[in-house]
Amino acid sequence: MKKISLSMAACVLSVTAFLAGCGGNQAANNSAAPADSSNASSQAAGDASKPIEIDFWYALSGKNGEMIEKQVKEFNESQDKIKVNASFQGDYYENHSKVLAAVAAGNQPDVTQVEVGVIGAFAEAKVLEDLAPYANGAEKKYIPGLMGNSYWNDKLYAVPFNRSTPLLYVNRDMLKAAGLDPNGPKTWEELRQYAKALTKKEGDKTVTYGFSTPIDIWFYEALVFQSGGEVVTNDGQIRFNSPEGKAPLQFWTEMIKEGIMKAPPGEKYNAWDVAKQDFVNGQVAMIFTSTGDLRGLNESAQFEVGTAFMPANKSYGAPTGGSNFVILANSPEEEKKAAWEFINWMTDTKQTVAFSLETGYMPATTAAVESEEMKKAYEKEPNFEVAVKQLEYASPRPMLPSYKEMQEMIMTEIQRAVLGEVSIDEALQIAEEKAKKLVK
Amino acid sequence: MGQIGRTSLKTIEWILLAAVALVFVFPFLWMFLTSFKTLPEVFQFPPTLLPESWQLENFRKAWESGPFLTYVANSLIVAVGTLILQFLVGVPAAYAFARYRFKGRNLLFGLSLIALMIPSQVIFLPVYVQLSNWNMIDTLWALILPFGASAFGIFLLRQAFMQVPDEVIEAARLDNASEWKIMWTIMVPLAKPVLVTFGLFSFIYHWNDYFWPLIMTNSDSVRTLPVGISMLKASEGGKQWNVIMAGNMMLVLPILAVFFFAQRHIIKAFIYQSK
Amino acid sequence: MRKAVASQELSGAISPAKEKKAAGAPFAWREKLRPYLYVTPAMIFFTLFFFFPIGYVIYLSFFDWTLLNLKAMDPVGLENYTNLVSDSDFHQVLGNTFVYTVSTVVLGIGLSFFLALWLNRKARIYGIIQAAVFSPHIISLVSVAMLWMWMMDTQYGLLNAILEVIGLPAYPWLTETGSAMVSLILVSIWKGLGYNTLVFIAGMQSIPRDIYEAAALDHSPWWRTLTRITIPMLSPTLFFLLVINTISSFQVFDTIYVMTQGGPVNSTNMLVFYIYEQGMDFYNGGAASAASVVLLILVGILTFFHFRFMGKRVHYQ
Repeated sequence: MKKISLSMAACVLSVTAFLAGCGGNQAANNSAAPADSSNASSQAAGDASKPIEIDFWYALSGKNGEMIEKQVKEFNESQDKIKVNASFQGDYYENHSKVLAAVAAGNQPDVTQVEVGVIGAFAEAKVLEDLAPYANGAEKKYIPGLMGNSYWNDKLYAVPFNRSTPLLYVNRDMLKAAGLDPNGPKTWEELRQYAKALTKKEGDKTVTYGFSTPIDIWFYEALVFQSGGEVVTNDGQIRFNSPEGKAPLQFWTEMIKEGIMKAPPGEKYNAWDVAKQDFVNGQVAMIFTSTGDLRGLNESAQFEVGTAFMPANKSYGAPTGGSNFVILANSPEEEKKAAWEFINWMTDTKQTVAFSLETGYMPATTAAVESEEMKKAYEKEPNFEVAVKQLEYASPRPMLPSYKEMQEMIMTEIQRAVLGEVSIDEALQIAEEKAKKLVK
Repeated sequence: MGQIGRTSLKTIEWILLAAVALVFVFPFLWMFLTSFKTLPEVFQFPPTLLPESWQLENFRKAWESGPFLTYVANSLIVAVGTLILQFLVGVPAAYAFARYRFKGRNLLFGLSLIALMIPSQVIFLPVYVQLSNWNMIDTLWALILPFGASAFGIFLLRQAFMQVPDEVIEAARLDNASEWKIMWTIMVPLAKPVLVTFGLFSFIYHWNDYFWPLIMTNSDSVRTLPVGISMLKASEGGKQWNVIMAGNMMLVLPILAVFFFAQRHIIKAFIYQSK
Repeated sequence: MRKAVASQELSGAISPAKEKKAAGAPFAWREKLRPYLYVTPAMIFFTLFFFFPIGYVIYLSFFDWTLLNLKAMDPVGLENYTNLVSDSDFHQVLGNTFVYTVSTVVLGIGLSFFLALWLNRKARIYGIIQAAVFSPHIISLVSVAMLWMWMMDTQYGLLNAILEVIGLPAYPWLTETGSAMVSLILVSIWKGLGYNTLVFIAGMQSIPRDIYEAAALDHSPWWRTLTRITIPMLSPTLFFLLVINTISSFQVFDTIYVMTQGGPVNSTNMLVFYIYEQGMDFYNGGAASAASVVLLILVGILTFFHFRFMGKRVHYQ
């Protein structure tokens, strides 16, 4: 009897071990080097009768998400060689998680959008396809200022899709009522003065805050740029534990202490939601958020919305943001080619102009920016041009592979400082130590 | 204490009872009411109790925000499929534990009890890696197979099988019925109450499960309802709480309805663990 | 353990193998194999999805690995554990888990005990209230989380509206470090109170009536009956609930994921969420598996106590 139970156990364990070992290489089998695709479009139609199906995972919701679905539908209807299956995955963080998990599991999508600061991490993980052979020079059509987060180790891994810079949004009605310039403050000092003038209290309760911004890494990067510094270099030098890195936190904590700035509660994009909701409800007069929220805010707000450069400290400055199109390396050859077709179409002048005007994101190509349609639109709605103009002062976001985790860590630590849990110096010190560990 | 004293004490108790019930029931009511309001109504402070007009629009929006038919289908497939598998795997095991003497029985049953105490949160990481190696991530199998053997089910069934009188089985064996036949045609029907109890428990558990499908699936095609509904939270420019609540009604109403009609059974199902 | 199982046994487990052998039937060996065959499928599932993973995660905790590339596993000995020990974030996670668990268990069981004393009566109204109190327990945790997230909204939520009506200041709920933990504890208690209460009631109803009758004959005051009879007789139930609630608290994930994502500033980051974040967000498999082992040890200790007590309990009766 004992023999039977022991041998049974042995049986079970060996079956388990066998199953655990096998499988698992399907992902490796799927990857293939891109063949010479100078005639990508003609070669994509391998089987003329059935369209090639590709999966596109996207991370924009609300109006912006609807626009993506609309354009995907247009693409599918405009030709019958490629069918794109678009599927919403959540916000950038959630999409990144899911894409990486899917890559590990062997069932990744073919094309997706990756936030610009995380492209280095994805490239380093060998998850992205080198786009140069597909593009063959076509990448020159994109605005040069938007290409900063497209290359890693000199390879082209991504092209611009929905690109943005953070902007200062102002409630023009409120500014006018307070006798301020409706175009908004131009410097940090002016921002503070405006915020003071716009803050309204009823007894103990603050009915209106002059200014609000999520204590988010992106806006921190902006203010560090404006102070003449940077957060971290792409070769791993930690730069934020410096006067330039300290300045934004001092600026914010002072304004919060004065009661003229609100730090919206919530993690990651939840805080952005609160800031935008407050702005629309008239509880905050000025906020920082992405140019990609412009169309949405315009439509929800019952007042005149104005956008402006982020106020300058030593100079104007802003990180670019938004996400780029990428093709996943492990997809089959045919689908990768089809994915490039799709990306190319989505960033054609007509599509990128329409997308930009419907959302507020910047148009991706030079041709689009200079097109008649765009120029007319800008005359009618100058708010939409502000981000493009701010590009002159913009810099790419850090994109070293460890930044994916590092940015969340920095965000947590600077939030501690702003919440008053630790002093600013301590927070930056701790963040620097943790950052150094991550870079290794 | 006079008659009046006793009545007023009773009244106080009734008020307190109502308060207690309210604490537990009112949030559901709030979910219900919010799901019919318009967005501006939702963002009013102080909030209104009843919606001004009953917006069915929110339910349509929630339903259309994703492939909800697929989500519901997947939830059903997973809940029912898991239950069937647990039944097929559990009945023979419980029967063996209950009615046979064999070497290692106590050890194996003890191992089953240990499995009872291991929550899925403790082992999700290695199971994820295993399923990933077998290319089963993002499939419905990943949601069903890991739960194939239910220690709780085996425990309950064993109790039930042990209660069947010997004479019934003796009679069947004398009739030359095979063990297999005895198990399925005699023991199982006699254990019906336990099967109902366990079935309710398992179905509700897997219908409600958020954690496991969240971890193990990525694609819309295999997502279940709880995951689908949680994605309603993502929205540009502020959460649409009315739509979110409407979506949650889809998840909550079926369970509440079943609960309303089968209170005793359900409570028994969940409380049984204590015995 | 064996004793416990054996003493729970009823008669009737006569081996059909022996029967058939006695009757001189052929293929008696087949009968001997039968129970093993019946038990095998379940054992395979248990091994594959419970026991093997436990061993596997312990194994994995000695490597530096990532979910992105399962081929590249770097053996690093105890480094993952030393990293955890020196990681201030992990200390915070352990602290949070401890605070959450103790609060939820003590408050949850304490409140439900009194609720059970009150509701343990025959009249129909009590049955209805019991059902009402139990209802949150069977609802999906994700729905509960979203509902409370909405009610706890600091500007538009129901709870702060109620506070304002009674004249109390608005509470920051999920938006500040201390209050976020309080909020999660509150949600957990709300969801679990019904279960604890009904288990207590079941336990109370299994106390033999004659004991109470004897106490009444002795003119025992209510508090003496409570402390000398009710509570001691309920000690198995109490212990059961302690273990179940504690293990359940260690498992908390859904509410954190939906309501706070571990924040603000990691103040609600707890074990399972930490494992998830490390393994599936930061792709740090080593840290995730080491933390999983820590969780395993904690659950294991509790399970051990549970089984030891269960053995005692059976003898007690």
